[in-house]
Parts: sequence; structure tokens; C-alpha cells
Amino acid sequence: MRNVLTLADKELRSYFSSPIAYVIIGLFALLFGYFYYAYLYIFIRSSAEMMQGGGRAPNINQQMIASVLQNSAVIILFVMPMITMRTYSEEKRSGTIELLLTSPVTDVQIILGKFFGAMGLYVAMLAVTVLYIAILFWFGNPEWRPIAAGYLGLLLMGGCFISVGLLISSLTKNQIVAGILTFTVFLMLWIINWIGESSGPTTREILNYLSITEHFNDFARGVIDTKHLIYYLSFITFGLFLTAKSVDSERWRG
Amino acid sequence: MIEVHHLTKRYGRVTAVDDVSFRVERGEILGFLGPNGAGKTTTMRILTGYMPATDGRATVAGYDIFDKPIDAKKRIGYLPETPPLYPDMTVREYLDFVARLKGVPSKEKKERVTSVMARTHVADMADRHCGKLSKGYRQRVGLAQAIIHNPEVLILDEPTAGLDPKQIIETRELIRGLGGDHTIVLSTHILPEVAQTCQRVVIINKGRVVAVDTPDNLTARLKGAETMYVQVDSGGADAAPVLSALPGVVRVAPSEQRGTLAGYEVESERGRDVRRELARSIVNRGWGLLELRPMRMSLEEVFLQVTTEEIPEETPTDPGAQGSMDPRTEGEVPVA
Repeated sequence: MRNVLTLADKELRSYFSSPIAYVIIGLFALLFGYFYYAYLYIFIRSSAEMMQGGGRAPNINQQMIASVLQNSAVIILFVMPMITMRTYSEEKRSGTIELLLTSPVTDVQIILGKFFGAMGLYVAMLAVTVLYIAILFWFGNPEWRPIAAGYLGLLLMGGCFISVGLLISSLTKNQIVAGILTFTVFLMLWIINWIGESSGPTTREILNYLSITEHFNDFARGVIDTKHLIYYLSFITFGLFLTAKSVDSERWRG
Repeated sequence: MIEVHHLTKRYGRVTAVDDVSFRVERGEILGFLGPNGAGKTTTMRILTGYMPATDGRATVAGYDIFDKPIDAKKRIGYLPETPPLYPDMTVREYLDFVARLKGVPSKEKKERVTSVMARTHVADMADRHCGKLSKGYRQRVGLAQAIIHNPEVLILDEPTAGLDPKQIIETRELIRGLGGDHTIVLSTHILPEVAQTCQRVVIINKGRVVAVDTPDNLTARLKGAETMYVQVDSGGADAAPVLSALPGVVRVAPSEQRGTLAGYEVESERGRDVRRELARSIVNRGWGLLELRPMRMSLEEVFLQVTTEEIPEETPTDPGAQGSMDPRTEGEVPVA
């Protein structure tokens, strides 16, 4: 555990001692802010219309926050390759991987260190957006529980992206290649169920199940379903397991 | 301290290390010598647990590197060919990270970092980013990193590469100072380095061990008889008959002549030191004795000889081997 913390700490420091962390957090905050503003605007207009019509005020959780969180899932998909692409490839290129692999730590500890380091940056990214949501509490009274569920979903989904990103980064020395590949795979995992629309019910079920973002929809609505929890957790575990295999086979090939 | 048994490493069809075996005793400094691509780095990477061997066993500090990698790695300090530095970290941060990674207790950490920085002369760059260091400093921070957890075994892959002459001397002194407490394996292709730093040499070529011995024995072994170079001012007379008449002298070959100065290569019986007789007879005749030195085969020549042809275990008795010797200055001549 101490080793994992040491490595995670090092990863996190290396993000923040280079411009990467600031660029990513800034970019994410900007895009999140845009969606936040857009959906808030729509929400205010529609609630004003509904109030005029004598109806009840719409639910801010369902009408606005869920949509913002769903859209931020897409931003994360674009931003995440920038976080993970250098994790292994940079160590391989600069030769620092030799230090890690000859230190008294196991491969799994190294991988977990990198995973939690990247998660740390991701949490920092999400933390900024919590400020936006906090403003809603200032002027209105949204439910906090669905929001918490939404953030839990974001964390788990991000974890999946990170585990895939680590795997791809461990396959190449070139971080640009790693970045592009990661982005392509993320995109595939997002849109994989689109072709399901025109296919049979079984295929559609399977493709829907594979799509990372599809599983997030319930979280965004504030529902914590064990089906999705299991999907995300097993996805993360499997990704990290494959990374361990990749690192190990790299050793054998030299 | 280190035992290597029949180590073999294949990359696909290429055999990088082929049935290598050797031992290193506690406190010994072993030189690992070979041309580029001979398998030095691969052997070291196997010893440090960076990669597994295809076949064979290696034990470091009593722990098998394949079965008990964590225990073995705790006792190894390793400086790879390129120092594994993180460019975004300062030297102090970096050493602090390595200390934690290698399991130095947090109470001793600060003290260890300070002491290794002093020992490797990098303290003045403590707060500089590793990416901004010169080659010499990078190499020394790499060395600092290797010794931070006070390991029993040090494995150094070309520790003096890229250093200036003053730094090379400092680094060699540091390595010699570390010997005794630490068991050291260092690789190099610079031969005088081996002669100056190491107690024993393993010469490796094309993945195979071609010779294991002390630097002195290696040079002696490849040379049949003792040869002296004598320079005499004999006033024009030929000194060769006089010298060859001396007891123990086998052969005298004139090598150069400049005015009244004449140089000779005097070959004596094996194990017999004829320097006293040589000097006495020259001086007694009233000639000037300007130079008298043993012509040893330099390690460079030994090296070239063992790596270009497989030497048999016995001493070669081919007299032609000596004829090709010439007194060469021992400089920093990288071979291959």
C-alpha cells in the first residue's frame, strides 16, 4: 500500500509540475461551464413557461443536472486520453521504467500507483465542476443525492477510461500514438451501440451493454443500479489486469 | 554475493546472452568488459530483475532474482545505461521519491538524501530540475539514486560514460570507495577503467564469457615471456650482442635507432626478472641507460585478442603473439 501511495503521489506530482494538469483542468472546466450555462438557460426558459401556464415548476435535477452530467461524460471521453497517454509510454521512452521495474515493488503496485495517480487528477477535474453545482444550491434547492450518484457514475466511468488508457499506453513508446489509439477506442466504446438501432434485439442488448457511456445514463438520472456498478468495476479490473499482462510480456520480450 | 549459473537470453532467434556463468564475492568489484552489443546490458538487466532470463539462474545477495524478486531488488542498486531521471522533478525530489520507492524508512530518508548528494557531488544542484542537468550531473544523480538505500550489491552500466576526465576520476574513486562495503559489478568498454577500478574482469563477447581473471593475470596470461624495452646510448656501438649474452635473455630485437640512441626489445625467460642484470651490464660499459620498462600487453590488446579469436584456457605459446606487441600509450581508447 505504501508503495502504491508513493507511486500515485509521484504520478500526481508529475501532472502538476508540468502544464498538463492545468491545461486539462482548465479545458474541462471551460467545456463543462459551457454546457452548464446552455442547460441552465434552457431550464430557466422552460420553467418560466411552465409557471406561466400554471403548472408545477420542473425538477432541476432531471431537467438540467442530468443533462449536464451526461454531456460532461462526452467531454471526459475527449480529455482522458491526454491524461493517460503518457503514463507508460513516457517512462518507456525516457528509460525511467528501468528504475520502476528494478525497484522492490510489484508490477501490480506500479499499475495501481499509475491508476490512482490518474484518478487523482480526474478527481481534481471533477472537483472544479462541483463549484458550478454548488451555485445551484445557492439559488435553488436541488436534491443532493441524485447529484452524488451522478458523480459516483462519473468517477467509475472515468476509472474505466483510465484503465483502458493505461493498457494502451503500456503498448507503445510513443505517447502520441498512445493518445490517438486511446481516443479511438474510447470513441468506439461510446458509439458502439449506435449501430444497434438497426440490428436485432439480442445484438442491440449486447452492444448497449458494451457501451461505457450507456451505463452512465442511469447514474446521471440519480439511479445507482448494481448492474452498472458491476459493469464498471469489472471493466476497470479487467483493464488493469490486461495492463499487468502487457507489462509482463514486455519484460519477456525485452 | 552474486552467482550466475548458465544464464541464457534469447530474443526470438537472436541469442543475446549465451550460457553465461560467473560469481562475484562479497566486497569485490567486478568489471564487465565487452564490445557494444556483447550482452553486457542484457546480463545486467537480468541480474537486476528488469527482465527474466530464457534459461539459467541468478542469485543476488542470497535471493534468487526470479523466485524472490522483491527481496533481491531491495538489496540491489542499479544505474542503467541512461540514468532513469524524471525531468520534471528536482534532484532532491527525485532522490526523495527513489528513497521511498526503495523502502528507506521515512525517518532516515532526509538524512540519506543529503548524504548521497554530498557523496556524489550533486548537492549544489539539489533544487535544479533533472531535465536541466548536464550529462555529468545526470550520471552522478543516477549513481546517487543507485546507492540511496545502501544496497549490498551495486550494478552499474557504464557509470563513467559521458563524464569529463575530472569527473571520471572522481567517479572511479567513489566506486572504489564503495567497494568493500558493497559488491559491485560495473560494465564498461573503456579498458583502463577496468585496470584501475576492478579486482576481477569478465570479458564477454557475442553473449559468451571469453575470459574471467584479474586484470594483471589477464595481461600476463596472454603473453608468453616477459619483454623489456631498453633504450641505450651506446655511442654508436651495437648493444644487442652484449644484451643477448646475459643469462636469462632469450632474444633481443632492435626496435629503433636515432643517432647514438638505440632501442631494443629484450625478451627473457618466463618468470625471470632480468632488469637488474640489464641495467648493470649497460652501466658498467659506460653506456647511458635512458629507458628500461616492461612491455606489458595492454588490456586493449588482450581485449582485442580475446574478442577477435577464442582463446584457449591454456596460455598460448605462439611466439608470434609477442611480435605483434608494441608499446602503446594507455589512454582512454574506447574499443569497438
